[in-house]
Amino acid sequence: MKRKIRIAIPSKGRLKQRPIQVLQRAGVDVLEEERAYVSETSNPKFEAVFARAFDIPVYVHYGAVDLGITGHDLILEREAEVHELLDLGFGRCELVVAVPEDSEICSIDDVPAVARVVTEYPNISRKYFEGLGKQVEILEVRGTSELAPKLGLAQIIVDVSSTGETLRKNHLKAIATILDSTCRLACNKIAYRTFESEISDFVAKLRQGDLD
Amino acid sequence: MFTKLRTPKGTRDYLPEEVERYRYIEDELKGIFELWGYQEVRSPTIEFVEALSTGIGPELVDNMFKFQDFDGKILALRPEMTAPVARIVTTRMATMPEPIRVFYVSNVFRYSQSYIERGREFRQAGVELIGCNTSEADGEILSLLISSLIKLGLKEVRVDVGHASLLKDLFEATGLGQEKKGVLQSLLSYRDEARLEKFMDQNNLPSKLRETFLQFSRCRRLDEVSSVSIGSSEFGKTDNHVRNLLGVKDVLASYNIEKFVFFDFSLMRKIEYYTGMVFEASAPNLGLPLGGGGRYDDFIEKFGQLKLPATGFALEIEKCLQALIAQGFQIPEKTKAKILVLSETKSAAIEAARIFRDAGVVTSLDVLGSDKKKTEEYAKLAGIDYVFYVASSLDEPAMVYDVGSNFSRNVTIEKFLQSVGSRA
Repeated sequence: MKRKIRIAIPSKGRLKQRPIQVLQRAGVDVLEEERAYVSETSNPKFEAVFARAFDIPVYVHYGAVDLGITGHDLILEREAEVHELLDLGFGRCELVVAVPEDSEICSIDDVPAVARVVTEYPNISRKYFEGLGKQVEILEVRGTSELAPKLGLAQIIVDVSSTGETLRKNHLKAIATILDSTCRLACNKIAYRTFESEISDFVAKLRQGDLD
Repeated sequence: MFTKLRTPKGTRDYLPEEVERYRYIEDELKGIFELWGYQEVRSPTIEFVEALSTGIGPELVDNMFKFQDFDGKILALRPEMTAPVARIVTTRMATMPEPIRVFYVSNVFRYSQSYIERGREFRQAGVELIGCNTSEADGEILSLLISSLIKLGLKEVRVDVGHASLLKDLFEATGLGQEKKGVLQSLLSYRDEARLEKFMDQNNLPSKLRETFLQFSRCRRLDEVSSVSIGSSEFGKTDNHVRNLLGVKDVLASYNIEKFVFFDFSLMRKIEYYTGMVFEASAPNLGLPLGGGGRYDDFIEKFGQLKLPATGFALEIEKCLQALIAQGFQIPEKTKAKILVLSETKSAAIEAARIFRDAGVVTSLDVLGSDKKKTEEYAKLAGIDYVFYVASSLDEPAMVYDVGSNFSRNVTIEKFLQSVGSRA
């Protein structure tokens, strides 16, 4: 008998709300939303796991879960080799380079050759600045990188922005967009072989639910 | 400062219990490779970077540990074993009759550019069948791969087969740039026709080529590729590649292992030298491939002397172990009894140990001269089954302490050997 297909859903943060609704419309009701790490679903073939959105790409890469809903930005940041089977459309955001509104830096070209950057995305940031030929010192933080300029830790941050609201509130301006991101359905490569028919049925239903 | 207590990033130690599991896998694989007529080769851990980087592609070259020899030449730790085997065959086995069948069980080293921590030292067991380009050779390699995995005790194994040149020729026919080829490859691996069609529309692929991509991406089994209708002259040597795959399929049918083998048109390996069939083995309980391989007909000639087609595979020992554990497989333990021998008379103890060892029983000799109580405590903790106290001579009965039952008795060495013989 085949085991259950595991799907990981973000347990908190900006990506939490929609996945549960989306799954429901695809006929997979998560039965215990709270607390439980592994939760039964209304579909006997699937079980749900709640995990940090940031960790989901890693779980999918190694096959600890077969499927995962997480941001495209996070998949790139964690260098996860996964199939991005579906663009779920929600969780739209940009990964931007931002500086204080009153900064003399107005575009990415103004960034000095040697600078300090505070970010939750060290991997993407390093590659981005290396690609521009700029040597930057990357300080990795968890969450609220907006704080860094205020405290004088760094002038430059790399962070996600969906509406620009948080940047404005913190008197920051975006000077470059590194990438656009949305939520994706990520799938482990081996699991896609093992469970191809089940997973493609599920993807078809998700897609249909999207159109309704 | 603390480096004397640690090992470098991505490396680790293996303690006896774990080594025993690795040994189980390596011995089983070695056994079956030998049964199929393959002979073991070993190559140096360090080689010239030029030898190791020939034909393997930029990604693996980037991931090699490189350093300088005293005379300035650049050396590296081997990142895989096919290049060393190709070098060995070229330089040392040129007069051997073909086909040449060799295998290896080795550690390989890869340095990850990423800040994400990954292993740097891996053990691989692999085979190479060199000097022929028949479907029978490819079929033998796939069959040996599947037989090996089954021999290890793995269940529900599968091998997904693609064709490196088939994909390459069709990609060339698209005229797309490198980046877009990458997108196309991803879309093929997602098996998502809607997105694939949209992409091919946007990039104005000719209708016949589009149809070819769609048809191949629908195939799940090797025999299905025969239904893909294509003109031979149009896209590289597509027809030849399809014939090759169908030939392999026929051989698999003769081996009666078709059910384990699937077709995956999008399958690509990270190593560049493949020219024909390529494949990956997996088990449903592990999210990463157990290993893989394929045909590499132009690779050995890159070493400059012999033009030899070849095919082979490598298995990652650690992945096989993880899959076995995930499937709840109990690695057979060696059930041999372990004996600790001691005596006031050293020569008598040594003589008893010799008798036990000659009989194939694992025996350690007491080297501490501790008292009875301490010795028995040690035996308990060290996993010893019996403590054997020899009197001044073996002619007299010895006292045997059975650690499991915490019980002592007097017995002659012959009698005792008979009783443990059943466990040995």
